[in-house]
Amino acid sequence: MNRKVLRGLLIIIASVVLVVSAMFVFVIHSHSEFFTGVLYGTIGALFFVVMAKILSLIQKEGKQDD
Amino acid sequence: MIDISSIPNIPPALIYFAGAVLLPLFGKGRVRKIYLIILAALGLIGVAVLKSPAPGGWEFSVSGFELIFLYVDRLSLIMGYIFAIIGAAAIVYSLGVVKENGEFVCGLVYLGSALGAVFAGDLFTLYIFWEIMAFSSLGLIWYSRTERATNAGMRYILFHLFGGCALLAGIIINYMSTGAISMVPGESGIGHFIVESGIGYFLLLIGIGVNTAFIPLHTWLPDAYPKATIAGAVFMCVFTTKTGVYALARTFPGAELSLFGNGIPFVAYIGGVMCLYGVIFALLQNDVRKLLSYHIISQVGYMVAGVGIGTYIGINGGIAHVFNHILYKALLFMCMGSVIYATGRNNLTELGGLAKKMPVTMITCVIAALSISGVVGFNGYVSKGMVIHAAELSHMHILTLALMLGSVGTFLSFLKLTYFTFFRRNDEIEAREAPLFMLIPMSVTAFLCVAFGVYPKMLYEILPYREVALQYHAFAVGHTLSTLELLAMTAFMFFSLRILIMPHDRITYDIDYLYRKAGRGFIWFCEHPLARFAVGVERVVLRIADYFVMFGKNPLRGTRVMIDTVGVALLKPVIFVFNLVIQPVYKYYERDLEAVKMRPVEEMGKMSIGTGLVLILLFFALYLIAMLLHGWLA
Repeated sequence: MNRKVLRGLLIIIASVVLVVSAMFVFVIHSHSEFFTGVLYGTIGALFFVVMAKILSLIQKEGKQDD
Repeated sequence: MIDISSIPNIPPALIYFAGAVLLPLFGKGRVRKIYLIILAALGLIGVAVLKSPAPGGWEFSVSGFELIFLYVDRLSLIMGYIFAIIGAAAIVYSLGVVKENGEFVCGLVYLGSALGAVFAGDLFTLYIFWEIMAFSSLGLIWYSRTERATNAGMRYILFHLFGGCALLAGIIINYMSTGAISMVPGESGIGHFIVESGIGYFLLLIGIGVNTAFIPLHTWLPDAYPKATIAGAVFMCVFTTKTGVYALARTFPGAELSLFGNGIPFVAYIGGVMCLYGVIFALLQNDVRKLLSYHIISQVGYMVAGVGIGTYIGINGGIAHVFNHILYKALLFMCMGSVIYATGRNNLTELGGLAKKMPVTMITCVIAALSISGVVGFNGYVSKGMVIHAAELSHMHILTLALMLGSVGTFLSFLKLTYFTFFRRNDEIEAREAPLFMLIPMSVTAFLCVAFGVYPKMLYEILPYREVALQYHAFAVGHTLSTLELLAMTAFMFFSLRILIMPHDRITYDIDYLYRKAGRGFIWFCEHPLARFAVGVERVVLRIADYFVMFGKNPLRGTRVMIDTVGVALLKPVIFVFNLVIQPVYKYYERDLEAVKMRPVEEMGKMSIGTGLVLILLFFALYLIAMLLHGWLA
């Protein structure tokens, strides 16, 4: 992956985390049920991307599994 | 007008079994197609006319056990409806791809036995159909006729034989302790089968857990399904795991494990683990049908969670998810089957650019993807929401979180599947739309996914607890809004980070890596230490047999050899300790043994029969006297 893409990704992740945190702090306390989706969506997607990256360590090159 | 109530209840399994038996009579041409379409329609009618409660006539007494071949209540009916609907769709779909009668026979027997299992009124009958399912589905894997499929089929059947043995042992042990085999719950609900804690309980759970693909008993599923035939995979994705969920709903709804004085609904948490595990591994897959197979585990996790929560809304949610899942999962397998049929490729890295070349497949696949992801207006949204709502109501916060995260992962991986199959640019690929026989069931199933999503009341009406279901508001503002936000954020994250989850030509290790290692270790153990031990045992047995032959020829000589051998064996270890005393005796035995062995075995002189009888009577008389003396002294 080249540096430009990485930098872009980092900026996107940082902005999303900031927006979600801001929303969590300022809005959710009063109207939590309307914002849980945003929170779960962001955290969930990041969780799965990170898990996929971690589990890719136990993958090996090849097309067939046996 | 036909009075439906006048039609007698016939076990739907019989329709498909009879259909399978008669199939070879119709050749391989157009007549066979017409016959199979009529059979699919008959199967649907056979389930539609079933009345609850079923009148008697299908109960048989075998060795004191009351076996019930047809038990109809709301739970078995909803399972029967969806099995028959998707069975009909799978049969029509098969007409476009299947050539051999044998494959059709396997599919029909598999479908029939799945219906037999859900309409079984006792655990023994369930077990019989359970095993027929395992063997008939094996045919659907082996008809691929590749070495990979043959090997995967062997692993598949080994796993299911293990599960079947565990189930049968669990049934027997539980019967011995409770006397219960009947699954007829009466008026009070759907799952009041008496299961007593202990080894029987554990074995029942293992047996059902293999079919339901509990982690870590799941490895047969992503191993075998991608290697089945195109039509075979459509059949397989529907019946085995859902029959497992059905059995779980009958035997373990809301089952709790006592831990630190608290009752933990462990089955529900098993569902939560399945939900996340399946999604994470699905994201790593490159083979489209392997990705879908891991999603079966994940989606079955929702069903297991619903049943495991055990409340009326939880069980309703779990069973509603069975119904909806069968629709969209069969549709997904049909779509990917069409893609493989049209392109000959099954890896995401090789696909792409099919949206314009296969528009009907693309549209139906997108509908199925939106349904499984729980998008508002599609059927998955209703049942998934019901299970999550049940977890919330039961204050199971960790489970709720796991199930919601599962939704995110599901949407993420279906964005990946649809994007890399249909929308990513690929100018090299050549494909034409799938045949009409494949497109018709795909379109009908896609329509049903939308119909049950837009108008869920149709589903509520047939759920096990109808009144509770009708009180559930699927489109409540808060729930709808949060679901839309969740999916929108997931989509945004996918398009931002898709480079990180791009498909690659890689193999992902699952727990089956350990099983295969353990299997190789077991084979080594059998071939080396165990084989050596067996050779040793064989030698000893042969020597004993030789001795008996020798003894039979000449008992006096045999007795002498025995005394000498025992003497040598007993004295040899102590000869060095008491050299002076023991050595002469030892030498005597050794010399005598050699001398006896050197002499040829001469047969003893024969006696008359009368003398032999006198000797035998004498022996028995002595034995009797000894026994009498023993009794008298005691």
